[in-house]
Amino acid sequence: MSSANPARVTEVELLAIGAGFTGIGLGIKLTRQGFHDFVILERAGDVGGTWRDNTYPGVACDVPAHLYSFSFKLNPHWSKIQAPGAEIWKYLRDCVTDEGFSDKIRLNTDVTRATWDEDARRWLVETTNGTWSAKFLVTACGHLSDTRMPNIPGLDSFPGDIFHTARWNHDVSLEGKRIALIGTGASAVQVFPELQEIASSVVLFQRSAPYFFIPSGKHQAFTDAQRRLFERYPQAMRDVRAEIFWYSEGNFPPRIQVPKLLEKARKASLDYLEASISDPELRAKLTPNYEIGCKRILGPGRFYATILQENVTLEASALTRVEGSTVYGAEGNGYEVDAIIFATGFDATEPKFASIIHGIDGESLAESWVDGMKATASITTPGFPNLFITNGPNTSLGHNSAVYIIESQIDYIVDTMNYIHSQGVDTFETTPESEAAYVDSVAARAEGSVWLAGGCNNWYVDRRTHRLTVSWPDFAYQFRQENAHFNPAEYTLELSQ
Amino acid sequence: MAEPIAKDLEQGTVDVDGTTVSYFTAGKKDSDLPPVVLIHGTAGSTENHFSFVFPTLARDQRVVSLDLTDIVGKPEITVDDLERQVAAVVNHLVPTGPISVLGYSLGAVVAASYAAHNPDRVKNLILVAGWIKTDTQQLVRQDVQAALRGDMVAYKKLSLVLAFGVPFVAKRTLDELMTVAPPPAGGPEFIGKLSALNRIVDITDEVSKIKATTLIVGCTYDMMVPRHHSLALFGAIDDARYTEMSSGHAIVWERPSELAMAVRTFLANPGLHPAGTVIPEVQP
Repeated sequence: MSSANPARVTEVELLAIGAGFTGIGLGIKLTRQGFHDFVILERAGDVGGTWRDNTYPGVACDVPAHLYSFSFKLNPHWSKIQAPGAEIWKYLRDCVTDEGFSDKIRLNTDVTRATWDEDARRWLVETTNGTWSAKFLVTACGHLSDTRMPNIPGLDSFPGDIFHTARWNHDVSLEGKRIALIGTGASAVQVFPELQEIASSVVLFQRSAPYFFIPSGKHQAFTDAQRRLFERYPQAMRDVRAEIFWYSEGNFPPRIQVPKLLEKARKASLDYLEASISDPELRAKLTPNYEIGCKRILGPGRFYATILQENVTLEASALTRVEGSTVYGAEGNGYEVDAIIFATGFDATEPKFASIIHGIDGESLAESWVDGMKATASITTPGFPNLFITNGPNTSLGHNSAVYIIESQIDYIVDTMNYIHSQGVDTFETTPESEAAYVDSVAARAEGSVWLAGGCNNWYVDRRTHRLTVSWPDFAYQFRQENAHFNPAEYTLELSQ
Repeated sequence: MAEPIAKDLEQGTVDVDGTTVSYFTAGKKDSDLPPVVLIHGTAGSTENHFSFVFPTLARDQRVVSLDLTDIVGKPEITVDDLERQVAAVVNHLVPTGPISVLGYSLGAVVAASYAAHNPDRVKNLILVAGWIKTDTQQLVRQDVQAALRGDMVAYKKLSLVLAFGVPFVAKRTLDELMTVAPPPAGGPEFIGKLSALNRIVDITDEVSKIKATTLIVGCTYDMMVPRHHSLALFGAIDDARYTEMSSGHAIVWERPSELAMAVRTFLANPGLHPAGTVIPEVQP
């Protein structure tokens, strides 16, 4: 992985920003096709995206690993159904070395601006490590890359340690400390039991109680024999993957509030709460006040068991202010602590990359998306020719594997590139009509969904317009049916001279 | 039912052969797709067999379903009897125009026969785990089930291992398996009459007349209506394509999402795959 000479402009046909799941998957597919004229820019010092950034104790993926991995790069070696984060990170690094495209990746290269040059009909991409000119640009930045920190009065004066779960400070020992953990999302419920074990006390700030899903299947860790079977007989892995995929798809209908299946899902989760927490007062605090699925349904792990530990306090309100070393909840309760851990998630509705990408008339993607993210086929938008936006509008799933969506988007890009090469296309730009039709189709499906009508604040809905812009309001399978192939009818195409 | 199986579900009844048959309908009003009629199998009902497929298809199109009903005082129920119940509901709710029909298990037998007799109405047909003619394997299986009737625990266990696919059973405890399917619907007398009908099915003449664009869905691990029956339908029906799913006979509970997506994809564009195509199972 070499660095470019910052003094000159390097030409490349396809440039991708981000070497996480999407960038790496795209690299594999392009390399296997014999397409080598691409470069992947990565702002950090290593590949791996979310799985490089998230190193907090207990980090794991709550989607089973045999599904949360590439269908074209199955891994027989997963240690557990829900793989630890470090294993997923290693898998991604191995993908790059196994497939032999390390030389296409530029590390420590943060994109500062990408501008469409209408005369050259190329993207000019400025970075902290040189400038590129690319015919095609792919944003592969991920949903969960820019951390969200709430604005808490008095936080600046807090004398102890403060960090976000996705920016874990391993130099700080939390052993024997009094810790405030802020949030009860996916990261919080994973790190919480780990913190409880080492801390003298943990106060958990919960704005809203989470729902948990009930895991299917009883075996958590794979045996050596199972792993060797996967190696010797890969169809066994594919069968596992298919089972998990269709089981997960089965959890979609409650998201659109199909009455009977919604009730069944809610009841299963509340029954699990009731079986875990006998104290009625505590159970009331842990009972969500919104419909199931409005926020991410979490992997159960040891959350309820940890809540019951003696050194744990559940503060069922938001963190509102900090005075010295005392943190206060909305209900006025104060707790003196040595460290504050923010498990407060990420900015998904207004991704940061959108403000550095400038299209035909110089307008940024963020400006173009002032009413919320939108695109044709969840991947292209008018005014931004030759740009693929991945993990953008309506690409997140609450019920199935994000990697399945990523693969669909990679397929779309590869299909488009093949079309371009075979038809001699110089530029493609989606039409406003195509985008509007897609946005309307998604909006119709989102209507009455639990994300919009479930009575919670979540990160899937754009707060400016109350449109569902992050989640895909349909089955994952349907995403691939609709959005894995380039449809020329949705584009204005200019042929090469 | 405590909560309806679909949003804005309409229910009603029609009278046929002196029997009152319940129907259910819901779904997208302005859809270009023909309404799809769902026909459940033995010991099933709309709610029992279609609580996943019904609301999933209803997002894209109108869905009609009925609860097949006993004819009190008639000792034997025939395919014709059940077909008349389907016809009564269809004629009441969708008196004209093209329709699609999906039948599951014995419902697939009824659907195939109905499609053969109504080629002008049934444009698209989906036969899930259906069959043409009952064979020895099914008769012996039924004999053993009947012999265990006196031992309800053994009967229930046998029914579970017959209904669900081997890999599905292997990954679950018996207690878990017991909770997957709802209790049988239709009442013991009607189930008894349908079981008797199961033994004498022969729609060989009918299937050769089917003109509809047809999708055959076989279940790889089916031990109640093994996959060779679905393959026989694939061979017998002119405009048929075939796909198979890694499920036992109880696909409506074991792999409902895979079934629903295959049906949805087929109904969106029934002719996408030409007649004779074997559509490979999705490898997600």
